[in-house]
Amino acid sequence: MAPRRKADAPEPPKAAPVRQSTRKRATTKAEEPTNEAADEDKAAHPSPAKRPRGRPTAASKLQNGASQKKFIYDVPSDDDAVGGEGGSNKDKDQAEKAHVGDEEEEAEEVATTPKRKVKTTTSPVKASGTKNIITPSRATRFTGGETPQWRRNDRSARKKSARALIERVVAGDASDEDEQEELAQEIYDSSQDEDEEEEELGEGPEGRAREIDESEAAAASPSKKPRGRQKKETALKQKGRARKKSPTPPRDLPPYELYFAQNRPGAAKTSSNTLASLELLTHEEYFSILHQHKEHHAGDIEYLQSWHTESFPQWSFELSEGFSICLYGYGSKRPLLHKFAKFLYDETPDHQTSKIVIINGYVRSTSIREMLGTIASAVDPSHRLPAGNPSVMLDSLKALLSSHDIDITVIINSVDAVPLRRAGTQTILAQLASHPQIQLICSADTPDFSLLWDSGVRSAFNFVFHDCTTFAPFTVEIDVVDDVHELLGRKARRVGGKEGVTYVLRSLPENAKNLFRLLVTEVLMAIDDEGVSGGENPGVEYRILYNKAVEEFICSSEMAFRTLLKEFHDHQMITSRKDVLGTELLSLPFRREELEAILEDLMA
Amino acid sequence: MADTETLALALAETLGDQQHQAAYIFDPAAEAPVSDRPAKRRRIPKKHAAQPEKPKEKHARHFQPLLNGLESRGASRNKPVHSGGGHWIYQRMHRPKDRFPHPFCPHHHRSQHGLAELAFDQLSDSLETRAGAKVVLLRSGDASNLKAALRKIILEVVANPSGAGEEQDLSLDNDGKRYLNYDLEALRSHLAHHPSPHVIVAFQDSEAFETGLLTDLILLFSSWLDRIPFKLLFGVATSVELFQARLLKSTCQLLYGRQFDVEQADTIVEKIFKTAVAHVDAPLRIGPVSLQMVLGRQRDQAAGVPIFVSSLKYAYMCHFYTNPLSILLAENAPQVALRAEHLEVVRSLSSFRSHVEASLRDKAVSHVQSLLDDDDYLNRQVQEQLESSRSWARRSLRTLQLLMCRPGQASTFTQLYVDLLTHGVDGLDQLSDLVSSMRRMDPAEMISLLNQIVAIIKDDDGSMGLEGCEGESVPSVALLSGIVTEIQTLCREAEKAGRTLRSEYSGQNKIMRTTVIAQKVQLSHDAATLTPQDKSYTRLVDTIIEHMEALLKCERAEDIWLHEAWLYDFKTPYREVFMPRPRSVVQRALLRPHDYLACSCCNSSKDQIMPTLPATAILYHLYLETGSLINVADLWTAFFGIVSEDEADGLDERTALVMFYRAMSEMRALGFVKPSRKKVDHIAKLAWL
Repeated sequence: MAPRRKADAPEPPKAAPVRQSTRKRATTKAEEPTNEAADEDKAAHPSPAKRPRGRPTAASKLQNGASQKKFIYDVPSDDDAVGGEGGSNKDKDQAEKAHVGDEEEEAEEVATTPKRKVKTTTSPVKASGTKNIITPSRATRFTGGETPQWRRNDRSARKKSARALIERVVAGDASDEDEQEELAQEIYDSSQDEDEEEEELGEGPEGRAREIDESEAAAASPSKKPRGRQKKETALKQKGRARKKSPTPPRDLPPYELYFAQNRPGAAKTSSNTLASLELLTHEEYFSILHQHKEHHAGDIEYLQSWHTESFPQWSFELSEGFSICLYGYGSKRPLLHKFAKFLYDETPDHQTSKIVIINGYVRSTSIREMLGTIASAVDPSHRLPAGNPSVMLDSLKALLSSHDIDITVIINSVDAVPLRRAGTQTILAQLASHPQIQLICSADTPDFSLLWDSGVRSAFNFVFHDCTTFAPFTVEIDVVDDVHELLGRKARRVGGKEGVTYVLRSLPENAKNLFRLLVTEVLMAIDDEGVSGGENPGVEYRILYNKAVEEFICSSEMAFRTLLKEFHDHQMITSRKDVLGTELLSLPFRREELEAILEDLMA
Repeated sequence: MADTETLALALAETLGDQQHQAAYIFDPAAEAPVSDRPAKRRRIPKKHAAQPEKPKEKHARHFQPLLNGLESRGASRNKPVHSGGGHWIYQRMHRPKDRFPHPFCPHHHRSQHGLAELAFDQLSDSLETRAGAKVVLLRSGDASNLKAALRKIILEVVANPSGAGEEQDLSLDNDGKRYLNYDLEALRSHLAHHPSPHVIVAFQDSEAFETGLLTDLILLFSSWLDRIPFKLLFGVATSVELFQARLLKSTCQLLYGRQFDVEQADTIVEKIFKTAVAHVDAPLRIGPVSLQMVLGRQRDQAAGVPIFVSSLKYAYMCHFYTNPLSILLAENAPQVALRAEHLEVVRSLSSFRSHVEASLRDKAVSHVQSLLDDDDYLNRQVQEQLESSRSWARRSLRTLQLLMCRPGQASTFTQLYVDLLTHGVDGLDQLSDLVSSMRRMDPAEMISLLNQIVAIIKDDDGSMGLEGCEGESVPSVALLSGIVTEIQTLCREAEKAGRTLRSEYSGQNKIMRTTVIAQKVQLSHDAATLTPQDKSYTRLVDTIIEHMEALLKCERAEDIWLHEAWLYDFKTPYREVFMPRPRSVVQRALLRPHDYLACSCCNSSKDQIMPTLPATAILYHLYLETGSLINVADLWTAFFGIVSEDEADGLDERTALVMFYRAMSEMRALGFVKPSRKKVDHIAKLAWL
């Protein structure tokens, strides 16, 4: 290799530059030859300043008088021949990098998709560069030693990104860490920008420059850390945050990415609006409005339901063949299952030997014992299962079943409802379903219901699944108003209502009743005066209430007063809050009508 | 809800009450129908609304035997796996019992839950019937402590399968003595009245039992051994050594056991596969696509053997439920006179169409004419075609077996079967592999291979119901055995001459490794030095291969006409029914309600939230745009903005709030949000779909 190069050296390096430039032109087609020439001139410009540092080689001397362009590209071959000169080495590197930078600038101005193309053009150059970095010597324009700190940091970031780019090219894996590469490229380019700031005078797109500055600063700041990789990561993060500022996150992220994007510390920025101005719904209002409201999809929902009804024969066939059925999908499936129960009932000729038991999983008090008990009573109305451990009950139920000639179809509404979610319950149900005389069909409402069953339980169930999206409202399954209030953390709104209060007061001493009467009267007066605001009753000042209580001989000391209040508080019969001045206000979490009813009760 | 209500449930008549009951008996008639009709069990409900052309009775009659056949064949296959263990126990019973006989049943830990259960269930069945033993299956979940375990054992043994008033026996002796329900004395007195040679206690998952409990039980059993004939059976998932290491030495010494291996799930699946899927008499061929799904599920979800069986069953159910032509597969099909509707269906099959086209290309016009016009002719043709489909099945199985006997055959039987059905034999790599490997064989290998092939053709294969030596393959048996003797003589001759017999092709093996130029030289060299014996051997090899290629002929199932009647090859019901994707279903319903509702109002091609969407769908769309913490006030504002958008029938605030409430509660019930204490009126996101 070396001899041949040497032989070439005298009749100089036209071949190399020409080949390179043509290749470049071929790849970035947008470039014009004139531009390129200008670029190269520009790129060559800084080199004379640096040249003194390296020992002038024979070739360079030879070329000195010749065109700058030729000189630049001559360096590598010369270096190879001589054996690696630090200075010129760096020069070449620098020049090439500069060239590349320019090229990209050009491309961004002219071409359509610059990034990709630039990357492809740079790669061969970079690859050749790697083997030349042997003696890293400092060859910057700021040779005076008083390079400002930030400049130096920028440089190091830039160098590191350059190295990262080179490593990647050498390693040859392109797809993997595209983002990182892009970042490195950006850092690299940006410093290039800066270098040419004098010439360009802020021609580049400003937004981009700013963003890059940010990322650069981030990359540069932890410069004491030993390795460059971390820096890049912090830079990446920084940039990510800078970009996250847009109000709507990108929509096409896959779910897991979205999860991490939204769960970054400090990511959650929500406004501090509250629902204070909104009067929340009461049960009565909710139902009265709901009653009047006409769902405009009612017809479609009805049609959907009738469509599912078509497959009733298929279901009963599957049940009869020993499969259990699980219906899933959005919407309440209770009405559908009820229809199915009717269908089965009409199908069966003999209601003594085949019975249907419906279990409502959503009812909060549903217990496995009750379910088994009901099934047992379906088998034999006079029989009572011995109470005890559910698995024992199941065994005796099985014994009971096998001694009767009867088939039971068990229909479970919401098998994934909270009361049935315990693993033990599901195991019992599975064992029940695997009994040949039991046919089981159930509905599941949540999208994640299949997590309830491990493989053993599932194979015991022997499920077939059907998509039964009904869009029917969960009228019975969900207690809408309470659920929403619980969701909002307004649990205290409705503690037992009037009956609850009377019940609690009955077990309290006379003093407590009197105090509560006093409080109710005060609050009612306050409501008359101020009206209800924001769904909450106006409060009574703690001091005032205390004084009145003392006046009426309800209590003699604040200590006693507090004890009484604490009792109320424990039963969530009163609320207390502080106003702007810090005075404690006591109030009652009941509606006016309820308060009046309570007062009536207390006076009676 | 109080327990007392349970009994009153049946009385509750209005639906409104029933909604809030945990459980009730469904009885819309509400009057108790008292009728003394004899109890008649109808396991097969009538459900033929979808297929009016099929008489109900006929269907019910035909369907059941087909399935029962399949099931019993599958189950009987499993039995021999464990009978060894049962037999051993059976023998042990006559020995002096100073120590326990206890067979270990190690099942590899990879084997699935279902498998272990299956093994134990079958074992207990066979033991009870054959040895008259009482078997108690103990699972770790059943027996948390000593008392519970003993109670369970006593209960199981005392509980009489005949179910004749055994309740009293449990706590009351005939002498009037009362026993605690965990006292083994009760068991002893029970056995005194109902003698049984063995009481077998099987620990299904012995690893999951607490060591102390196991030790206690073993000690206790050994002390009762002179009065109650205990035998123990342990399911060991790891190894017997580990099992012993867990127990005390003194406890171990009380045990006297032997180890039995339970077969691996794969092997069992393959056995079932051979009997139920690949079997010659299997009425229904399950196509490659379906099979691939079933087997894929078996592999990916580590599903147990029962699941495999039920998958097959479901495929049968689908075929017989939906395909009117399935009537052709009935056992007494020849007697079934096809109706005009059936023939219409046959004529509209796509395979019929391609058959007609092919016949026309062969200029069999009259045949086509009769097929189209003459019902009787078509009927006869259909029967013939069914017959030929059976011979196709035999042929394909034979081919498969021949392919399997290739030395170094890597893929399993099931995989090869699926490949064969998909591509036909011509599309298989295995065929060319077989041919090329045969070409390069030396005489000894060739002889053994040929013998193997002859054996395959001659002999029966009981597992798949293949009968040996069918009429068409007799000549090939003769031919191949003739070749074997010829090769043997050639071998002897070559031996006499002091050379090894080889064919023209056999050298290539070694030379392939050298460079290309050298190979050419070598080849010509080889050909030059072949002896007359070698040359005749080469000729023999050529004949064999020619014959094999002729023998291995099997077209794709889908190329046969009328395959629709006996081939079930669909992906759709299986995937939805057994591998549902509830998340994406719910997501789709909420993202694009139009897909389900098919309403006129909500169909927007743009990515835009329509005010007419169901409230929950609107909320879900908004939900997708939020971060992990959601401000309900803002959510409400956005929601109200959307629903009140429409001037004409936009909702007023309170109604919108009602809808909002409902949507919020549904979001919560679906598990998308939960309360958050971080900020006032905020909720936390729970699902990233």
